[in-house]
Amino acid sequence: MPNRVLIVDDNQDLAENIAEILSMQGYATEIATSAEEALPKALPDGPGILVTDYRLPGMTGADLVREVRQRRAVIRAVVMSAYTDERTISAAKNAGAEFLAKPIDFASLSLLLAAV
Amino acid sequence: MTPTLTFFENIKLYVGFTDASSAALRELHPVAQPFFAPIVDDFYAAIEAHPGARQAITGGAAQIERLKQTLIRWMDKMLLGPHDEAYYELRSKIGRMHVRIALPQAYMFTAMDRIRVRLLDVLRTNLASDPDEVERIATALNQIMDLELAIMLETYREDLETKHRNAERLATIGQFAASIGHELRNPLGVVESSLYLLRQHLGEQLAGQPQVAKHLDRIGNEVQRANRTIHDLLDLARNRPPRRHRTGLRALLESAAEAALLPAAMTLDVGIPPDLTANIDPDQVRQIFVNLLTNAAQALRGRGQVWVEAEATADEGVRVRLRDDGPGVPQQDRHRVFEALYTTKAKGSGLGLALCRRIMEAHEGTIELEATATGASFLLTFPLRKADDLTGAAGATA
Repeated sequence: MPNRVLIVDDNQDLAENIAEILSMQGYATEIATSAEEALPKALPDGPGILVTDYRLPGMTGADLVREVRQRRAVIRAVVMSAYTDERTISAAKNAGAEFLAKPIDFASLSLLLAAV
Repeated sequence: MTPTLTFFENIKLYVGFTDASSAALRELHPVAQPFFAPIVDDFYAAIEAHPGARQAITGGAAQIERLKQTLIRWMDKMLLGPHDEAYYELRSKIGRMHVRIALPQAYMFTAMDRIRVRLLDVLRTNLASDPDEVERIATALNQIMDLELAIMLETYREDLETKHRNAERLATIGQFAASIGHELRNPLGVVESSLYLLRQHLGEQLAGQPQVAKHLDRIGNEVQRANRTIHDLLDLARNRPPRRHRTGLRALLESAAEAALLPAAMTLDVGIPPDLTANIDPDQVRQIFVNLLTNAAQALRGRGQVWVEAEATADEGVRVRLRDDGPGVPQQDRHRVFEALYTTKAKGSGLGLALCRRIMEAHEGTIELEATATGASFLLTFPLRKADDLTGAAGATA
């Protein structure tokens, strides 16, 4: 049973590309372009892995991770961002996610998903 | 309607310096002139004895000899005049030179005072006249020395204003750059990931299609270059302090040459001892090298030669010289090349050299465009290591 990943990015093309790359690596993927669109896909049961951009139209990716983690015990999460300032990185970590800088190094992403 | 006064006319008016004052100084000249040499010797002896002031003089005994002669001529001119606008221009130029060699204002002040005290002393002891005459001439002397100080201070102030303006410009540009940079990252992310996917889909077909492969590579390279530009733009905005540790210069230069994607017809001659290290932030200094190499490549229009040499300096610093045999920088532009937004290139951002200078200043070093007859030659000077680096070196990974 392949691991399922939910990818959230307001740039749909990017979300689809990430999904395609991950499915080549054997993951089953779904995408969403906002946290609000992602929540019903993640709750009550959904993919075990969440890969989300930090900056989303409504609530942030970090907020999304926190929301999901509050309701589901087990979810592995990665927050991505082009912004690599202290505030963004801590927001990700405090929500219980790993942080990945953009532009995305896909090798790093794979390592993170395997380890997270 | 009264015409506006020049700066010099204004301050002369303010201290009460008139033609009579000029005449009084001319009377003093023959009396004071025999004493110029000992006054000047004493002046430079005081500088040599003071480590803080001595630092500004880098050319050794020969330079001090030249400076002494210059100071004697300065005193001649001060007493002989004429104290007109040309005088003011000349004194301003001298002031700007002091600013350029970074002589701290405090030293300049106290140095001037030294001369004032000596000249007053010479006047009082040697002028065979009645006390009123002596006072008249002393007043004129004090006035001209105050005027000299005012002119010097004005040049320091102008320099500070220019620096401030440049810093503000860079900061504003930085803010724009940051938002643009971040916005661009997403589309570039899509291009990069689609490229990756294209290569995956084409797989082995690529081997038999060199043209396709070539263009995919080209896309990849240019995306990398775009990413680097964005990275530089964001660095510009962030303006983080250098994180210094012992870095091998040769390897750093070679890494920069690779990153700069230099044209094949451009030869790069690297004369850096393999064991030469400097206490620098490697990412930031690599950026300087990339900027200078890229500028050289553009100036050479893709063919020509660039030499990079580096050596340790006597005071444990490091000097790096990067020069090319291109057309060089036109004389009228030379003093502006480091200004933010100044560029002579059609597609230049005008930020590269301003960024280079900012990085060098953050390292307490300097970058200068040397006066060469042909080509362009940039000299980077890094000072010796500082105490705070010792922890960095200890903690840095190889």
